Amino acid sequence: MTAILVPRGRLRPVSVGGARLARPMAWALVGLLALVTLVAVFARQLAPYNPIQPVGPINLPPLSPGHLLGTDGIGRDLLSRTLIGIQVSWLSALVVVASGLLIGGTIGLIAGATGGWVDSVLLMRLTDLFLALPGALVAIAIVAALGSGLVNTLIGVALVWWPYYARIVRGETKALAARPHVEAARLAGVGRPRILTRHLLPGVVPTAVVSASLDIGNVVLLLAALSFLGLGQRAPAPELGADTARALSQLLSQWWVPGIPGIAVLLLSLIANVGGDAIRNLIPVRR
Amino acid sequence: MTEPVAALTDFSLSLVRNGIRNQVLERIDLQIRPGEILGLVGESGSGKSVLALSLLGLLPHTSHPQADGQVTVSGVDMVRAGPAELRRVRGEVLGAIFQDPMTSLNPTMRIGKQIGEVTHDDAESVRLLETVGVRDAQLRLRVYPHELSGGLRQRVMAAIAVGGRPGLIVADEPTTALDVTVQAQLLDLLRELRDEFGCSVLLITHDLGVADQIADRLAVLHHGELVEIGPASDVVRNPQHDYTRSLLASRLSLTMPRDERFSGAADDSEPAVRIRDLRRTFTVRRGVRWARGSYREINAVDGVDLDIAPGEALAIVGESGSGKSTLLRIVAGLEKPTSGSVTLAGTGGPQMVFQDAGSSLTPWMSVGETLGERLRPLKLSRAEVRQRVIAALAAVDLPPEVAKARPGELSGGQRQRVVLARATMIPPAVLLCDEPTSALDASLAKSVLALIRDLRARIGMTVLFVTHDLAVARLMGDRIAVMQAGRVVELGPAEQVIAEPREPYTRTLLAAVPEIVEGAVS
Repeated sequence: MTAILVPRGRLRPVSVGGARLARPMAWALVGLLALVTLVAVFARQLAPYNPIQPVGPINLPPLSPGHLLGTDGIGRDLLSRTLIGIQVSWLSALVVVASGLLIGGTIGLIAGATGGWVDSVLLMRLTDLFLALPGALVAIAIVAALGSGLVNTLIGVALVWWPYYARIVRGETKALAARPHVEAARLAGVGRPRILTRHLLPGVVPTAVVSASLDIGNVVLLLAALSFLGLGQRAPAPELGADTARALSQLLSQWWVPGIPGIAVLLLSLIANVGGDAIRNLIPVRR
Repeated sequence: MTEPVAALTDFSLSLVRNGIRNQVLERIDLQIRPGEILGLVGESGSGKSVLALSLLGLLPHTSHPQADGQVTVSGVDMVRAGPAELRRVRGEVLGAIFQDPMTSLNPTMRIGKQIGEVTHDDAESVRLLETVGVRDAQLRLRVYPHELSGGLRQRVMAAIAVGGRPGLIVADEPTTALDVTVQAQLLDLLRELRDEFGCSVLLITHDLGVADQIADRLAVLHHGELVEIGPASDVVRNPQHDYTRSLLASRLSLTMPRDERFSGAADDSEPAVRIRDLRRTFTVRRGVRWARGSYREINAVDGVDLDIAPGEALAIVGESGSGKSTLLRIVAGLEKPTSGSVTLAGTGGPQMVFQDAGSSLTPWMSVGETLGERLRPLKLSRAEVRQRVIAALAAVDLPPEVAKARPGELSGGQRQRVVLARATMIPPAVLLCDEPTSALDASLAKSVLALIRDLRARIGMTVLFVTHDLAVARLMGDRIAVMQAGRVVELGPAEQVIAEPREPYTRTLLAAVPEIVEGAVS
């Protein structure tokens, strides 16, 4: 009888976060992502004033007493408006990316795992069709057709956003499906649905999450651009892109009124991008 | 006397792996003399490849090497010298051949250009390629690495290695990925290169037989320590150290004792596996340069008829490309035949043990979950499933705790045992083994093979065992089928095929196996 084969002296070290904590910078950036999300969720509690009502003198510059970021042309508090604007932009971006992941991921997973004509004719050509359309224009068209408003904007953007994820997930799934562990599972009598959910999906998630997190910044920008064009929420609801657009005439006289929401958009997409990079570095993409 | 080409003096080395510092080499003293072939033998993890990297001055910075003592090549300290000097020594004194020529050749560069980086002259490149035995060398300069076979690629690597007229060639497992016949040619080549260029060779291998064939001296490495060094024939035939003895004992040879377990299909019962006129054709588009966009058909399996009796073990031997794996995959139902049929008797269906156990287990599922999946159709309760899983692990000599582990936390041997447990926890109609031990060290391979024989005896399993190793085939098979170019060229009882091969091809295969003759091994 043979003895138990424990590798002597060279037990594979089980990583208990040791290697991960060695990258404090990456974790700090991911923490920043979480912080922004928290700020977005609790924006109403954090905002010192009602963002829609005038609450002070008009066009106060930033760092004025009582109004940290100043006020706009009709005396509304810019900090409050920006906070609520961040809430709208950030949470919308998360919703768009999440729904894109859900739709695109499902289609990609099925296409990659099935192969054959379902993959090449049905699902991937459908995806290509959407990829071929200029995303922003289609979103504008959809919003124009459905009427402006936050929900319609989200629907419009989500509809043009999923094909990227479908492509990525399908590629990853195809690579995984070629691995012997999937064949081994098939031989072991595992059914198709379970192979999809247990043997393929967990391997695809890291890549999909990484590319999605890198995308949040893009969605923030697209949403800001749409609302800048007047396709977002209706006034007087605060929205970063729309606020920038409306106050653009004040850029030379009171730069902060359009500037602060604009800078907020810049910071949001910057944080989303570096945070996404950090997530990519932290998640070991399995091969 | 003469200066050694390279020397390690009291050399210790530690590397960081996964955040943990490991002592990899421990006080090594080793000289490589001019013109000698020094064999360095050890199992995986013994530090032999790290030793090669130290000699080449290629220790990875990312693993923060900490070295004591010295590694000198022609007077230069290879661990501490600056990059410019290292590059000079590598260019002028060293040549390297690695295990996988596909990854060590640049896939985007033509062969000629890669050799040209050393020779700077096409005529010289052609001469070199001819020296290493590449035919039509002039034409080969224009091809890319992927257009060559494994053996040819390794020859190209050898040409690049000797191109700079090195004093020392470091060859790290140069033949492991090759067929036995190609391996024999490459070993001859190394010896010829030594004779012609007068360079030394450090041949790193896990196979004592290979080392014994061409090495002048032999060094045995175990857990980073040099346990034995001496003239090759002394080390192999009169080993002093226990570890060398155990290495020799775990070698699978063509003469090792083997137990008869199955006495042929005595009764005329239905065969467990019946393969009739099986064919599988692949269509490959030829390279644009070679033909006018034409398609070429490859008969991977070309009319195979086989009957395997219930409880019998049939070993299929062949070199890479002989179609043995395709045959196995068709029997498993993973691939469809172009024509012909496979009929399996009995219940349980086919189960397969793959070459790379690591990649045949789902990395994010625990062993318990993986094994439990086999029981899902039985609709057992949780407690029953846990019981069966533990029993299955016990059957392959694994403790119950393994059920909680992920494949990544297990060693190669343990993973192969888990795969075996999955395949046999419900007795299969036929167990298909695709080179299950070729990625394992000899001692581990031996225990896994013993386990397969054991399981087979316990549940009376039919086994179809594919291997390129004749010694393994003889050990595992009641009968041996030799495959060449998609056909079974010889089929007979194992001992008979090994002892009195009828076909010339079988004889070639047998002659190429590096055997240790007159082994005074107990």
